[in-house]
Amino acid sequence: MSERKPLVLGIDAGGTMTDTLLVDADGHFSVGKAATTPHNESEGFVESAIDAVGNWDMDLQKTFEQLSVVLYSGTGMLNTLLSRTGRRIGLIVTRGMEDAVLMGRGLQTWTDYSYPDRLHAVTHQAPDPLIPRDRVFGVTERIDQFGNVVIPFYPDEAEEAANALIAQGVEGICIVCMNSYVDDAHEQGIADLVQNVLDKHEVDIPIHLSSSVRPVIREQSRLNSTAIEAYAAAAGRDQLIGVEEAAHGQGFRYGVQTVLSYGGLAGIRYPRLHETMISGPVGGILGAKYVGDMIGSDSVIVSDMGGTSFDIAAITRGTIPIENEPTLARFKLNLPTISMESIGAGAGTIIKVDPLTKKVSLGPESAGSWPGPVAFDQGGTEPTVCDCDVIMGRLNPDYFLGGKVKLNVEKAKQVFKEKVADPLGVDIYEAAEGMANLLEMDAKDSMSQMISARAVDPHDYSLMAYGGSGPLHMAEYSRGFGFKSVLTFPFAAAFSAFGCTTADYLRRYSRSVQLTLPPDADANHRASVIASLNDVWDGLRTKAIREMGEEGHDKADVELQLFAMMRYTGQLEDVEVPLTISRVSADADLDYLVEAFDDLYAAINRPVAQYREAGHSITELGLIAKVDKIKPTLKRRPLEGQKPSSEAFKGTREMYYGGTWHEAKLWEMDLLRPGNHVEGPAVVEHPATTLVIPAGDHVWVDEWTIIHYEHAAPADSNSK
Amino acid sequence: MTVTDTASPHTTSAHPSLLDQLLESERVMRETGHYAGLDRLSLREADPLAYEGLHTKLRSMVVSARELARRISASPGVREVGESVVALYTPEGDAIALSTGIMVHVHTASRFIKWMIQNGYEEDPKIRPGDIFANNDAFIGTVQAPDVIDVMPIHHGDELIGWVAAVAHELEVGGITPGGDVALAQERYTEGLFVCAEKVGENDELRRDYLIRLERNLRMPIYWVLDEKAKVAACLEVREAVKALIDDIGLDYYKQATREFIEEGRRSQLARVQQLTVPGTYRGHTFFGHVTEGKQGVLPLGNRNWLYAIPLEMDITPEGRLALDFDGTNSWGYHSMNCTPAGMDGGLFVTLTQHMNFDGKVNDGAWMATDMNLPEGTWTNPGREDVATATSWALLLPAFGLFQRLLSRGFLGRGFQEEVFVGQVNSPMIEMGGESQYGDRFGIALFECAAAGSGALAIKDGIDTGYVGWNPESDMGNMEVWEQDMPMLYLGRSISADSGGSGQYRGGTGFESVWTVANTPQLIIATSEHSSRVFDNAGMCGGYPAPTVQLHHAVHDAGISERGRRGEPLPHRIGNDPHESDIHRYTDGETHVIEGPYLAEPLRSGDVFSHSYNGGGGYGDVLDRDPGSVARDLANGYVTRDSARNVYGVVVDQTTGDTVVDAEATQARRDEIREERRTKSMPVSEWIASSRSRIAEQELAPEVREMYRDSMALSERFAGEFREFWSLPADFVFAEREGR
Repeated sequence: MSERKPLVLGIDAGGTMTDTLLVDADGHFSVGKAATTPHNESEGFVESAIDAVGNWDMDLQKTFEQLSVVLYSGTGMLNTLLSRTGRRIGLIVTRGMEDAVLMGRGLQTWTDYSYPDRLHAVTHQAPDPLIPRDRVFGVTERIDQFGNVVIPFYPDEAEEAANALIAQGVEGICIVCMNSYVDDAHEQGIADLVQNVLDKHEVDIPIHLSSSVRPVIREQSRLNSTAIEAYAAAAGRDQLIGVEEAAHGQGFRYGVQTVLSYGGLAGIRYPRLHETMISGPVGGILGAKYVGDMIGSDSVIVSDMGGTSFDIAAITRGTIPIENEPTLARFKLNLPTISMESIGAGAGTIIKVDPLTKKVSLGPESAGSWPGPVAFDQGGTEPTVCDCDVIMGRLNPDYFLGGKVKLNVEKAKQVFKEKVADPLGVDIYEAAEGMANLLEMDAKDSMSQMISARAVDPHDYSLMAYGGSGPLHMAEYSRGFGFKSVLTFPFAAAFSAFGCTTADYLRRYSRSVQLTLPPDADANHRASVIASLNDVWDGLRTKAIREMGEEGHDKADVELQLFAMMRYTGQLEDVEVPLTISRVSADADLDYLVEAFDDLYAAINRPVAQYREAGHSITELGLIAKVDKIKPTLKRRPLEGQKPSSEAFKGTREMYYGGTWHEAKLWEMDLLRPGNHVEGPAVVEHPATTLVIPAGDHVWVDEWTIIHYEHAAPADSNSK
Repeated sequence: MTVTDTASPHTTSAHPSLLDQLLESERVMRETGHYAGLDRLSLREADPLAYEGLHTKLRSMVVSARELARRISASPGVREVGESVVALYTPEGDAIALSTGIMVHVHTASRFIKWMIQNGYEEDPKIRPGDIFANNDAFIGTVQAPDVIDVMPIHHGDELIGWVAAVAHELEVGGITPGGDVALAQERYTEGLFVCAEKVGENDELRRDYLIRLERNLRMPIYWVLDEKAKVAACLEVREAVKALIDDIGLDYYKQATREFIEEGRRSQLARVQQLTVPGTYRGHTFFGHVTEGKQGVLPLGNRNWLYAIPLEMDITPEGRLALDFDGTNSWGYHSMNCTPAGMDGGLFVTLTQHMNFDGKVNDGAWMATDMNLPEGTWTNPGREDVATATSWALLLPAFGLFQRLLSRGFLGRGFQEEVFVGQVNSPMIEMGGESQYGDRFGIALFECAAAGSGALAIKDGIDTGYVGWNPESDMGNMEVWEQDMPMLYLGRSISADSGGSGQYRGGTGFESVWTVANTPQLIIATSEHSSRVFDNAGMCGGYPAPTVQLHHAVHDAGISERGRRGEPLPHRIGNDPHESDIHRYTDGETHVIEGPYLAEPLRSGDVFSHSYNGGGGYGDVLDRDPGSVARDLANGYVTRDSARNVYGVVVDQTTGDTVVDAEATQARRDEIREERRTKSMPVSEWIASSRSRIAEQELAPEVREMYRDSMALSERFAGEFREFWSLPADFVFAEREGR
């Protein structure tokens, strides 16, 4: 097989496993897996690559020499943040807000908690600050919301702060001033003085300005973003450099790329590396968008079920939604992030029965990979949904991770009976299916919520199910929505790594503005708004093209799409309005802007919530600059017969489904060919995932080797 | 309230009228002791998983509808700090499932729906699909005027099968003083705009004339108007989801299951009380004092200082039934701190959901498993509907903070030490109005108060700057966002040292803000909820109460920009020097230090103002606190050096720049404090004997004397116990206050 031409290597290092997707010039993939090595991620990176390369019997060195792109999405920064092992950071703030590091936002004491714990006040606890209070110094200054200097900054205080921080041996200094998103003059002025002091002491440490990290409103989020960048990015970058060195050591000739939380690619020396911190699940969404575009489905719901969580997102008419205020490790951030919902629901989710009320609850805790579910026989004592899948014969005890882990069915049964079935007074198999259904229902509910929040009509959307446990539970969690199509992939378990390989070189540029369009605005006012719009967009355009050029891209290849963050005047939440115009050339373009907002707003929030009488405000203007990158291509193959080849058939197994036992046919996923149909009851097995098809449902493989799941026609709807 | 006593209204449909359904539901509950007469939860028994699944689904509907509402709102109260809730009700108005948020409203919207049914709304103004009803009248069903509730009926065919309600706390209601909690209201007629169970929309649309009324009667109509739209959108979202769900599972299943949820809620409430507490009678007492006599703007009727006694008895039966008795508390008054039974329900619920009903099955079942005695004529149940309730939280928070401590004694008795919570405190609010920085009239409640300190736990310190009793999803919001909506600039927002009650585990601390007024010729400020002379909270098991509320500091023509140009120090916090505040030290002009509610002449550009939020009570003996924790608190500004030494007996060395405990000096200092305690202490009987003459001779401050006189006049039991305790004659009464 040495005629293969390896092109792209995508690596997604998760909390437990590092997944590799190796793509060749013909669009073939090879999936590799290895344990993540948090102390030195480059080890797991190489092991996982060896696994993927080994599937093709290729030489590792030769493969790396031929690769054009290596993409790495890791966990180094997040681990640094969670384990509080980052840099020694000092902070200079507007005098009077020094206590912000301790006070935080009050909501950080409960944000990301489950429903019960959000109510149960004794569980609330603020996250430990990244910067201790004695390394925070105030400088007297104030700029108001309009950019007026109310109090000039006090230079002596800035110098004293710098001296004190140097004496404390800090490794980086953050500067955060009130309203610096409107005017950064004070942050810049303080930074210049601090730099002088550093130079005087011959200290070479970075200075991070909140107005550079992300110049938007909300000082606490800006402070968090700036602090995390200073605190955790360096260690993360060291890991990435280690990965790059390992790649170069194997003969790779270019720079390693990493993935931004809003879906673009950046070199590992990118100055705002904290933007890569939430990149793991982003890969899957990019992959879904890429596949969707290829197969002609521009609206996609993605669902990623692994061992610990269920992540979902919606791509609507080709647009990936961005959340501007996500929470990371319980800090509220100002970091544009692909908007995803995540619930603690995966195959490893622990099942609990309240001894008092008999209320059943799932998770959010997960058994993780160690000790793992009871069936792993590694000392796990709490029953999980995975154990239910084993008990019901849905998982092959001898083929988990291709047989690397043997599952102990009897042990799973014994613990599950004692801790769940008996307390509920239900038959063990019935209880096991009930628990799997609860997980599927949680997954379904989270999708329903997203569908309603984003004004999505399922009939317009394809659902893509991936992650190690996605195909195992997709039959039920996708049932009844009426999606246009329901899809999964032979490489479902490494779909996020695949997605990373499909990313483009992409940057978001934006600036806060304060423009209003009252309903009765006169021509002069409208003309001034138009001038401001063009002024800001022109500036962003120039910067975007220049920066992309500096990274070595041909300026002619840079594609730009404008967007505006808009709201009804007085509101507090914006809607990001993507625009098809390239500049505002006429008054009518303003009407277009307003109508585009009104339509999108009504679609998201219902027409009753419109309030045109209040007028419109534009709070942020931006553009997305994109340069295409070489990507894997899904290979289109001719359709063959409906009947799979005999070598794909693996025999039969008893499987519990719908309250009764079925004899399920077993198939090897990688041996199914385009055009093949598989009728339920069946189980399609893959070393890294398992697709369960109950009686009545069926799947077929299309010309892209994508598996289409089709549910039986709905029976009497009162059955459930 | 007038309950229609006539025969059921004529209905054209085949379904019984709502009034008949309501009366029947009450009869069945009374006669069987079970909600809807359900002595068995048959759907749960038959298929517990489908049953649980439906509950999860209903709960996620209301949770996601609340998120939708948040996106639409213009109010920082709703968007920034989450002052909203969405809930689903049965046709009779019993709550089935609620979102998170201000859980206060489990039963308030319930009262509102029942009130409409009882008052013949089926006949007039009729309840049709697509109708929108709104209410902010606390005597019909809400806590205070700013809590505006919208409800919409849910129909299946021509049958009304439920209601959905959404509540948002408004930041401006157009009262005698600006803001939502109208501090200066003394009677209903000055509380602002009332919408009394009114049909405000039809066919899923708000009526234009209603929006015009809002636009013309509020200082800042956009908050209420957009919140109204947000709530209607949320109601529509839930209504449509419920209808789709019923198409899926069938109406019969839906009706039966939702009733079972409520009965199950009732049973879990009983089970939780049994599990977590010890049966018996628990008693406690707290107080609240408001210094308002002679203040500008106080109208003659209420021109006095108010001191409230809040004795509370909690009875728990072996079956788990929990009853609260406010017998002995004081009369309602001409101020805005009175409450209604609906508001008392709110206080009870928001507290219960934080301690035993947090698992998501909270609904009206829990209400049915609890009782409250609210004596008529007291602030808890004024018995007349023209009294003002705009700042009812002033008394609700101390009352239900006390309830938390009584519950905690139960938890402790049962061994659930980690559940003990010294509880909620007042978090004084600022309301303001006048001319905004944009040159418009404006009004707003500055809701950064929604993140005070909590009481301590029995295993760790309380939550610092991150808890209020009325909304466990507490938050203060960003300063930059608040500055968008008011003509004041923060000079500082800082931890208030020593604001948490001391103890082995200290209470959470509050914070304080200092502003310079900017870009306005007129800023009217009115604040509320200041108990400045008596503790409105307490510690537990030897912990100290949090301090009484701080004073306001206001400086006219403070010279901030001039001092700024000269590079002189400015005030960023009140400071820890008891003899001179930073505000006084670092401003020009005269500093006005004002006790109690701030009701003074308007401020304008160039002035300075400060306001503080409270901390919570402590737990356990201060001398048992780990000295290292005290040192850490000192380094972080949670406690002062003075209190480290004089309260905790911890001596530290700060000469190296770090804060290090001097173990030997600490031991010596703690021994000294123990010795002082021994010297000062005396047997209780001696203390009673030595104090008795003051009582017998009525040598008490006029407010204290009046408080006890009123309690004794309202409650024979209180009077009897008071006389017995102090060995007073059977005819002992306190003299009435002087004047008319």
